[in-house]
Amino acid sequence: METVKATFPFLSLSMLLPAVAALLVVFLKESLSKVVSLAGATLTFVLSLMVLFLFDYQRTQVVQFYEEYTILKELGVKLSLGLDGLSLLMYFLTTLVSLVAIMWSVADKQISFRLKEYYIAFLLTESFLVGVFASFDLLVFYVFYELTLIPMLFVIGIWGYKLRLYSAYKFFIYIFVSSLLLLLGIAATVVTHYKSFGVYSFSYFDLLKNEYSLGFEIFLFILFFIAFAVKTPLVPFHTWLPDAHGEAPTAGSVVLAAILLKMGTYALLRFNVGLFPDATLALMPFLVAIGIITIVYASWMTIVQNNIKRFVAYSSVSHMGFVVTALFLLNKEGLRASVTEMFAHGMTSAGMFMIAGFIYSTLHTFNMNSLRGSVRFMPLFAFIVAYTAFAAMGLPGGSSFWGKFLTVLAAKEYSYTLALLVLVGGFFSAAYVLYMLKTLFLDVREESILIHFKDVSGFKLASFVSLLIVIFLIGFFPHLFFNMFEGSLDFFLKNLLKLE
Amino acid sequence: MDIGQLVGAIEIPKLSRFLPELVVLITAFVLFTLDLALPSYLKRTVLPTLSAAGYVIALLSIWITVRDPGDIFYGSFTNDLLGVVVKIFELLIALTVLAFAGNYFRSKNSFYGEFYYMLAFTLLGAMILASSYNLIIIYVSLELVSIGFYILTALLRGSFISKEGAFKYLILGGLSIALASYGAVFMYIYAGSLDLREIFKYSGQDYHYLILGLVFFLIGFAIKIGAVPFHFWLPDAYQGAPTPVTAFMASVGKLAFFIPVVRIMPLVQEKFAFAWMLTVGVIAAVTMLYGNFVALVQKDIKRLLAYSSVAHSGYILAGVAVTQVIGLKAVIYFLLVYAVMSAGAFFVVSMLERSEDWENQIREFSGLRFSLPYLAFAFMVYMFALLGVPPTVGFVGKTLVFMALSFDKLWWLAFIMILSTAISTGYYVRLVVLMYMKDKEKEISLKGRSYAEIASLVVLTVLTFALAVFPDLVWRFIGPASETLFAR
Repeated sequence: METVKATFPFLSLSMLLPAVAALLVVFLKESLSKVVSLAGATLTFVLSLMVLFLFDYQRTQVVQFYEEYTILKELGVKLSLGLDGLSLLMYFLTTLVSLVAIMWSVADKQISFRLKEYYIAFLLTESFLVGVFASFDLLVFYVFYELTLIPMLFVIGIWGYKLRLYSAYKFFIYIFVSSLLLLLGIAATVVTHYKSFGVYSFSYFDLLKNEYSLGFEIFLFILFFIAFAVKTPLVPFHTWLPDAHGEAPTAGSVVLAAILLKMGTYALLRFNVGLFPDATLALMPFLVAIGIITIVYASWMTIVQNNIKRFVAYSSVSHMGFVVTALFLLNKEGLRASVTEMFAHGMTSAGMFMIAGFIYSTLHTFNMNSLRGSVRFMPLFAFIVAYTAFAAMGLPGGSSFWGKFLTVLAAKEYSYTLALLVLVGGFFSAAYVLYMLKTLFLDVREESILIHFKDVSGFKLASFVSLLIVIFLIGFFPHLFFNMFEGSLDFFLKNLLKLE
Repeated sequence: MDIGQLVGAIEIPKLSRFLPELVVLITAFVLFTLDLALPSYLKRTVLPTLSAAGYVIALLSIWITVRDPGDIFYGSFTNDLLGVVVKIFELLIALTVLAFAGNYFRSKNSFYGEFYYMLAFTLLGAMILASSYNLIIIYVSLELVSIGFYILTALLRGSFISKEGAFKYLILGGLSIALASYGAVFMYIYAGSLDLREIFKYSGQDYHYLILGLVFFLIGFAIKIGAVPFHFWLPDAYQGAPTPVTAFMASVGKLAFFIPVVRIMPLVQEKFAFAWMLTVGVIAAVTMLYGNFVALVQKDIKRLLAYSSVAHSGYILAGVAVTQVIGLKAVIYFLLVYAVMSAGAFFVVSMLERSEDWENQIREFSGLRFSLPYLAFAFMVYMFALLGVPPTVGFVGKTLVFMALSFDKLWWLAFIMILSTAISTGYYVRLVVLMYMKDKEKEISLKGRSYAEIASLVVLTVLTFALAVFPDLVWRFIGPASETLFAR
């Protein structure tokens, strides 16, 4: 992989900005924390827009805006930040969703105590997430990957709903323990590099040159894979997710579902597929099978949920199943579908969790039965619900359509049976979305209670609108969107097929 | 024999290589004398100030020693980089112990002048232990450290538990020293030399003596570092000792007792690397699993930290099992940073103990963030560091151990380490959750915080991050130190 040095340290700045804002929140008055964190997140978002404009889309396989700072020379640890097309997309997702989450929190009445800590947690999460997606050093990547756990532990444990402590524990233990396997995998990869090249290096570019025996490569692949499979999550490692997402406050669920899950799939592509191509090819049928099982199982689980937040959480799992299935089909359409779906799910799941949060703030319940017909007297909100839900389902005109459509195309390249299996998964995901829409729109309940509800407005409306705009843009101008990352996916394909 | 020859054979010791020890030795004797001579109201200010001054001078004198590596006293004392870096940490932590000890003993109503000179003597033993290859010197300094610890443990007036801990420590510690010296005898029989380097260089016929000697010697040290199944004294002694002393034992003690083992590590590599790997590996595995499992069910915070200390001995021993340069580096780094983390954790407990009706129970930590935010933050940092969450030192230590283990393809040990870290998540995160997410159970207030205490905690907390984020701070010592150990 080539790199282009940054003329201006955009990436380290977009990591520093939220951190500095967090530091300001520590020292300023509690009443100012909303303003400061909103300003911090907005500035970071503006910075990411600048990066988006300055990025060279002719060469998305090249790592641009590259910065490098040595941490420990002897072991080859460097803080190396850069963006190729794939990272760029994830970086933009991070800054966008973080801004949306903070905007939402400002208007959220649930967040009424320990404001300082709350905003510090969110700002730090943003900073760490930029680190995750921009790092091209495995140890630094791991550091940020783990660091995102800590603010989220606090967000779930302090501002969550009833089962918050249980969920916070479960979330932390699942992910912390699984990522220890990743740490061992990274250590083993680095040592392998040392044994053949005589230097320690954690750099992604150096580790790409490693060569392994197939057995050892599969061993390393599995060490990496389990960590990311828990994070993504794939069945049977998914049980932490409904608890964590269901109990977290709205903005916490938004960040968890929209960005933190993407860390898993991003890393599967970047590290598992990138570093261990032979093992990926060898294990491919098994991996695709896990993906399809995840889609179908999670869809079934979604339909039977009675709590709308857990409903959305399980639907996230099934979407991630799509991402992983598409990813491990390992052809051009598959990778494209997978990355599209990653981003699209970031938008729609954020929207869905915010819908659940808004419903809770008006009706004070998550119970599906008491939500019957609840959106009828809030026309603006009803439109938002409908558009987001149809986009999540994969209807044309929404962002997920391209992801699901391309997945089917990619599966068709192998066999029609496989394509049919993917379609069955799509059928179930349509089923649960329609069930939700029926409950919210068509079911009847005593309407006199509902009439007095205020429609969505202010910061909450702004959060919804910014998501809907992006969903709309991807739905109607997909070529612009694909253009952002296509070249960087070619790198992985060439690597898989050993082409130069 | 010609008298001239005899005189010529006498080496004039280059005392510059022995300077820090010399300073601490003089400090100890001055403190000892003053403790006898001064009236008690003067002692309370003079003794701590004087000890601190002595340690600071010793720290400064390392500036001179570090430039002049080599042996003195006919090879019985070796001044090398490993010794130097260990001594820096030992002196630093001894200084922080002084900061907490005064207030602690005052609150427990048991001020003893003995504390200060015993601390100095123990420190002296630990420093000498860190830089010697000679079996006799190791034996003598081991005794010095141990006797110091027995006395320091018992220094709590009217506390049964303190005496019990000291007594258990005395008996098992005595056993350990007996075993270690017995092992030393066998090694001497094998090679006819007291110098460990000579012993391992010598290739004689009777390997049995060397193996027997090494086994006894290592069992002696295994008792000292609290490796399972030789750990029985450790939780009781840690719980019983005055908490600043516990901090000293867990940090400086562990560091000092590990160093001779570290020095043997590069020497065994040719002869019995495999047997060593297997033995140490199994002990490491058992130690970390047992330590973490038992820590999980503790209700007393000091016992919890004691078992966590046992578990950390296991992690460090896992690095010891790998007789490669990377293993040595991992072990040295982990030892140094464990000293920082554990000292910090015990210091926080020692401050909390000054609050009224504090019983060292874990449930008392609930809602600590609301009553003492800064202290709770520091404790959270140490808990995350002990757990190995980045970007703290504990994380870097574990990464290095993982690298070492994958160097020798010791996968089974690596998986046991992952498993035991998984178990440890339970109790470390529980403390964080209690402090930050539960409501306050009772009012906790501290009287008379001194600036020295606050400064020490700040330094230790900053070090917990700084040594990981800017590893070059210690790595400039660790790298060359382990290279030279292996070059011999």
